[in-house]
Amino acid sequence: MLVLAVRSLPVRRLPFHREVSAMLIAQVIVNWLLLGSLYAAVALGFSLVWGIMNIVNLAHGAFILVGAYTAYWAFTQLHIDPFLGLPLTMLLLFCLGWVVQYVAINRVIRAPFLVTFLLTFGLDLLIADVVQLLFTSDRRSINTAYSGFGLTLGTLHIPFDRLLAALIAVLLTAALSLFLQRTRTGNAILATGMDRDAARLMGIRIDRIYALTFGLGAALAGAAGAMLVELYPFDPSQGGVFTLRAFVIVVLGGLGTPWGALAGGLVFGLAETVVPLLPGIGPGYDDAIAFALMVLVLIFRPRGILGKAFYA
Amino acid sequence: MIHLFSYLHLPRRHLAHTGHDSSFQSRSSATHLSLPIILLSLLLILFCSTGLLACGGTASSSNTLLFGAPISLTGSTATEGHLTLEGYQLWVKEVNAHGGIKVGNTTYQVALKYYDDGSSPTRSAQLTQQLITADKVNFLLGPYGTSATLQDEAIAERYKIPMVEANGAAKAIFSRGFHYIFGVLSPASEYAKVMLEAALSLPTPPQTVAIISANDSFSEEVATAARDFASSHGMEVVYYQTYPSGATDLTGVLTALKTSAHGGVPDMLLGSGHESEAVTTMKECKQLNINAKLYAFTVGPATPDFITSLGPDANYVLGSSQWTPQERYQGIDFFGTPANYERIYKQTFGHEPSYQSAESTAAGLAFQYAIQNAGSIDPQKVRDALARLNITTFYGVIRFDATGANTFKPMATIQIQNGQVVTVYPKEIANAQLLYPTPPLSQR
Repeated sequence: MLVLAVRSLPVRRLPFHREVSAMLIAQVIVNWLLLGSLYAAVALGFSLVWGIMNIVNLAHGAFILVGAYTAYWAFTQLHIDPFLGLPLTMLLLFCLGWVVQYVAINRVIRAPFLVTFLLTFGLDLLIADVVQLLFTSDRRSINTAYSGFGLTLGTLHIPFDRLLAALIAVLLTAALSLFLQRTRTGNAILATGMDRDAARLMGIRIDRIYALTFGLGAALAGAAGAMLVELYPFDPSQGGVFTLRAFVIVVLGGLGTPWGALAGGLVFGLAETVVPLLPGIGPGYDDAIAFALMVLVLIFRPRGILGKAFYA
Repeated sequence: MIHLFSYLHLPRRHLAHTGHDSSFQSRSSATHLSLPIILLSLLLILFCSTGLLACGGTASSSNTLLFGAPISLTGSTATEGHLTLEGYQLWVKEVNAHGGIKVGNTTYQVALKYYDDGSSPTRSAQLTQQLITADKVNFLLGPYGTSATLQDEAIAERYKIPMVEANGAAKAIFSRGFHYIFGVLSPASEYAKVMLEAALSLPTPPQTVAIISANDSFSEEVATAARDFASSHGMEVVYYQTYPSGATDLTGVLTALKTSAHGGVPDMLLGSGHESEAVTTMKECKQLNINAKLYAFTVGPATPDFITSLGPDANYVLGSSQWTPQERYQGIDFFGTPANYERIYKQTFGHEPSYQSAESTAAGLAFQYAIQNAGSIDPQKVRDALARLNITTFYGVIRFDATGANTFKPMATIQIQNGQVVTVYPKEIANAQLLYPTPPLSQR
C-alpha cells in the first residue's frame, strides 16, 4: 500500500466532472471489450492445440508473426486489405501448420513433454529468424484508408478497425466451437483429445487429426496476426510476447472449450485496460496484475474460468 | 523387435502407447525419433551461428587497433542498433581510407569487432566481457541504449578500458563515479526541452501538455525534466503518466489523456519512450479519435521507420534530434560539415543518415583525436586524453565534463513535413517553419 500511495502522488488523476467520467467509463469498457476479444483470437489456436494434443506450442507466436507478415506483404505488394485477405492468410498458415505437424511434431508426439517443448521452441526461433531474413528487423505497420474511422457518440469513440477485429475474433471462436460440436471431423478431433487410443480403435487416423488440429491452430494464429498488424506496429521480435500472452490467457480462461479463450482474453484485457485506470494503480502494473490473476486462478480454480477436464 | 507387431495391421507409429509395446516405444524414441530432432538442432545451431558469423571484425595485427562493440541488431531496438552500427562502420571505413590513426611514428589501421546483443542489456554486458577478455579489443564503443550502456560501462570500468558511447543519454550513466565512460551525445534532460522551446516559440503556443513516458530510466528522466521545464515556462501539465516500457497497447493511457485538459484533449502530447511506442501512440490516437494540436516524441520521428510505418500520419510530428544534416558546423575531421557527412553516408549505405548514425560516427572521431593527442595506445593515456578533448566536428562540439557527459552540444527539433524530416528549431539552423496546429488525424 505504501508503494501505491507514494507512486500516486506525482500522477495527475482523471478529472471527475460527472459527465466526462461517465463517458470515460463507457470508453474504457468499450476499449476493454474490443481488446479482450482481440486477445481471445491471439489465444484461440494455442488453446486448441494444447487442449487436444497436450502440446504447449511455443511456436504459436511465430505463427502469429507469419500471419502478420503475410498480411503486411499482401497489403503492400498486392493491395489486399488485411481483413479481406484473412481467409488467404489462414489458408497459408493452415498449410504451414499441417506440414510442421506432419513432418516434425507427429514424430515426437508421444515423447516426454519436454521434447515437444524443445521442438516447438526451436521452431519458434527458426520461423522468427526466417521472417527476419525475409523482412529485416525493421518495424512494419499497415495504414488502411479507413483507419481512424469509427462511431462517435459525444466523447465516446468506437474505432472501426478494432470493432471489426473484435467481431471477427468472436466469430472465429463461435465457428470453432460449432465446428468441434457439430461436424464429424470436429467430433473426431474432440474424441482424439479425450482418448487417443480409443479414438484410434474407432478408426480415426490420429496423425491426420493431429495435423488438422495443428493446422487449425496455426490458421487461427495467422488470423490473429493479420488483425494485429493492422492495429499495432510489428517487428520480428514480437512473437514471444504473444506466445506468453496466449499462455496466460489460456490458463486464465481454461482449456476444454474455445469460449475459455474468450473468457481468458477478456480477463487479460481487463488487467490491461480497466485496472490501470483505477486510482492508485498505474499502467506500469498491468503485467503484474495479469500474472497475479493467473496465480489466483491457479490456486482457486486450477481448471481456469471455463475449463473442463476434456476439450468438449 | 518388428516381430512383436506382426499381428497388428497398423503402421508402427500409429501404435498406442500401451503396456505391451512400451519397451519398443522407449527404445524407438531414442533411435527412430531422434533424427528430426538432430536435424532441427543442427539447423538451429546453423541459424544461431550465422548470426554471429555475420558479425564483422578483422583479425588484429600489430598495426591494427581493434574497437569492440555489442550492438542490438535483433530485438526491440534492432532498427536503432543497425543505424548505430552503420555509424561505426562509416567511421572505420573513412579513417582507414584517410591513412589510419597516426601515433608517434606508427600508423594504425582501425578494425571493428561487434556482436549482436539481441537488445538485452545482460547479454550486452556478457559480450563486453567477451570483447575484452577473448577478443582483446583495444577500446570499446558503446551499445545502443541507456540500459545496455549502464551494464557495459561497469565492465569497461572493471578492466579499465575506455568506452566512448554514443547512444545512452541518461544521467544515471554518468553519475556512478566511473572514469572510463564518455558519451558524445547531449544528456537526457535536453531531449524534451528543445521541443518544448520550439512549441513555446510559436505566436500562440500550446497552453496544456500531456506527458506520457515509458518507465525505463532514460525515458523517465526525460519526462521529469520535461514536466519541470513545461510548468516553469507557463505550460500546464494536465496529464503525466508512465507505462511499461515496450507496451504494445496504450489505449488505457490515451483514453485517460483524452479528457485530461479540463474535459478536453490537451493542446500538446509529449511522448517520452521508444520508436515502437511512438508509432503505437500515433496509430491509437487516430483509432481513438484523439486530435492534439501538436505531437512530439523524444525518440522515434528521427528514425526512417517512423515515416514508413505511419505514412501520412507521421506528418506534423515533432521529434528531438542529437544532430541534423542541416546544422552548420565546421569540423576539423575528414567529414567537415553535416552536409558532407550526409553525402558520404548516402553514398555508402544508400539512405539518409539518422542522428543515431552521426553520433556513433562521432564516438569514433572522439577516440581518433584522443589517441592522436595522447600519442599512445595505452588505455590509461587515451582515457586522460579523452577527458581533455575539446574539438569541433561535423557532429558539433565534443567535449566531456568531469562525469564524462557531453554537456556542451545543443540539440535540435525536427518536424516531419510531407514525409521528409526538416529542422525547425533552433531558428539559426532551421530549414523550415514549424507547422502548427496539426490537422485532425482523420483528415489526411
